[in-house]
Amino acid sequence: MNILKTENLKSYYIFETPTEKKEVKAVNDVSIDIEEDKIYGIAGESGCGKSTFLKTICGLAEPPLRIVGGTIYYLVNGKYVDITKLKEEEYRKLRWEYISYIPQGSMSALNPIIRVKESFKDFVTAHKKIKDEQKDFEEPLRKHLNALGLPMRVLKSYPHQLSGGMRQRVTIALATILNPRIILADEPTTALDVVAQRAVIQLLKDIQTLQKNTIILVTHDMAVHANISNRMLIMYAGIFVEEADTEELFENPLHPYTQFLIGSLPKMGDKSYKISAPGSPPSLANLPQGCPFHPRCPYVMDICKKERPALVEMKPSHKVSCFLNSKERMQNE
Amino acid sequence: MSNTREELIRTEKLQKIFVVGGGFARSKLVAVDDVNFHVNKDEIFTLAGESGCGKSTVSKMLLGFLEPNEGKVYYKGEDISNLKKWKDKKGFMKEVQSIFQNPFETFNPLRKVDSYLYDTQKHYGMNHKGRVVEESLEAVGLDISEVKGRYPNEFSGGQLQRISIARALITRPSLLVADEPVSMVDASLRMSIVNLFKELRDKRHVSVLYITHDLATAYYVSDRIGIMFRGNIIEMGDVEDVLMNPKHPYTQMLKESIPEADPKKKWTERISIKELETEEYMRKGCKFAGRCPYVMEKCKDNMPEEISVENRMVRCWLYE
Repeated sequence: MNILKTENLKSYYIFETPTEKKEVKAVNDVSIDIEEDKIYGIAGESGCGKSTFLKTICGLAEPPLRIVGGTIYYLVNGKYVDITKLKEEEYRKLRWEYISYIPQGSMSALNPIIRVKESFKDFVTAHKKIKDEQKDFEEPLRKHLNALGLPMRVLKSYPHQLSGGMRQRVTIALATILNPRIILADEPTTALDVVAQRAVIQLLKDIQTLQKNTIILVTHDMAVHANISNRMLIMYAGIFVEEADTEELFENPLHPYTQFLIGSLPKMGDKSYKISAPGSPPSLANLPQGCPFHPRCPYVMDICKKERPALVEMKPSHKVSCFLNSKERMQNE
Repeated sequence: MSNTREELIRTEKLQKIFVVGGGFARSKLVAVDDVNFHVNKDEIFTLAGESGCGKSTVSKMLLGFLEPNEGKVYYKGEDISNLKKWKDKKGFMKEVQSIFQNPFETFNPLRKVDSYLYDTQKHYGMNHKGRVVEESLEAVGLDISEVKGRYPNEFSGGQLQRISIARALITRPSLLVADEPVSMVDASLRMSIVNLFKELRDKRHVSVLYITHDLATAYYVSDRIGIMFRGNIIEMGDVEDVLMNPKHPYTQMLKESIPEADPKKKWTERISIKELETEEYMRKGCKFAGRCPYVMEKCKDNMPEEISVENRMVRCWLYE
């Protein structure tokens, strides 16, 4: 079952002055289906639009970011709801109870002048009526923290008293206390040291097994994806260029960009010469015509400079957006 | 580690203490303690460790940005704290150049990038008639026509980092100190910068002190490595020995915790973390004792000495 569908989603940063209009096409015509009960990983370089995509589907688009076109459907109680058409009041009900968001900087996510427990209380009271404090708030909270393996003493602490890794785990506990069906996580492990990073990954995996929800995880770190994601999406210059199960993608990448990305990963015990993709990524404000990767692609053909390839299924559940793909070529001929 | 190779820089019992807080809440934090290592000619030496282990503090002391509380830094046998005259200092700076982490912060956004190159040339009195700037840019794979008259925002992170390496090469240094040079560079361009260090070592005989938290690139690029933990180097030796067959319990744990970019090598065991960073810094004995699975009574009060085991140095009482 698909829990989230986007159709021709376009989300641009628009800067207007009386003399000129500048459009940064951060999400450029994206149609994607997200299945239930899976961990999706979105990988890509800085500035490829992965965080913007997450913000857009989370309904957090604020000027200068604007949804220019397309739809975002969520499956809520068996019906597809287009969140771009919802009123603020209706959307607020979905937020945190249905869609949850884990930000990158855990320090700014927690209120620094109240204890962690008060933050949890704020969160829960906004969505549920608490009649009996013990039964409706304290007990479920303790259960939740226990299930996630977090110590109870964090509740009495102020955010600055916790280490970075612990703060990030508290933020994750906060984001999941209402048992959301879909969790969007934006670089949750960046800026943490390796041991804390491992603990956070472990926690996210535990939550997914426990609550059976869908996690969409954005990070540029392919090693994190290899460890946690079931299915991967590779983003380049505002579009998804490849989608496959994680093992398939690492073993058998089809898009030339993915091939470079995977081929250049340094590994322990392997000193063979690694090369990076030539050139540098294009500016989203000034995208090349046709396939955005064509100026850097070693296999570039004439058609790549004129048309943008669609994301088509090449093998069962392995999609790629590249004209080298024979099916795509046949469709065009 | 052969003794026939020429030593470029050596540190002896380097120590740095920071004072935290003020008034009655004043306390001392020993950020770097008893750090001894050297970098040879034609060699890439890596200092690796997690955030807050003191690796950047060491690099700042080497470059003379920070004064060590104790210990000495020798460059080609000469104590750098003896360089009092501006001329001598300049001579040292000419030989040891640095590259910083964030290329977007290295350059002033309002200045053209080529002005940095020409200023460095002028400042160090390099030959004006020669093609010093052009040659340094060629060494990093760029052409002067791509750079001239352009501002930092017109380049990608990878290109800017190349320009900052080119700037460092203008003085024809023997040693580059690179503090996390690739952590801000896009994944698809990262390896090109790392390969550049290898090329500089092989073709231009420039040694590199590579400071990083990323053990995978460290393994790929370096000849020798030192692993730092809470201010000490706890294991040091050839990269092949240290990373493929770690001896110190911390290095073993670090290697275990680093995710590998291979979905077939997912973690199966679970971990737990306990102590806080500052608590570990304050420890009297081995700083890792609170987390070590092999902890002994001795570890809690006595700082392990530098012990030599199987071609490497390990600071751990297990190998006494």
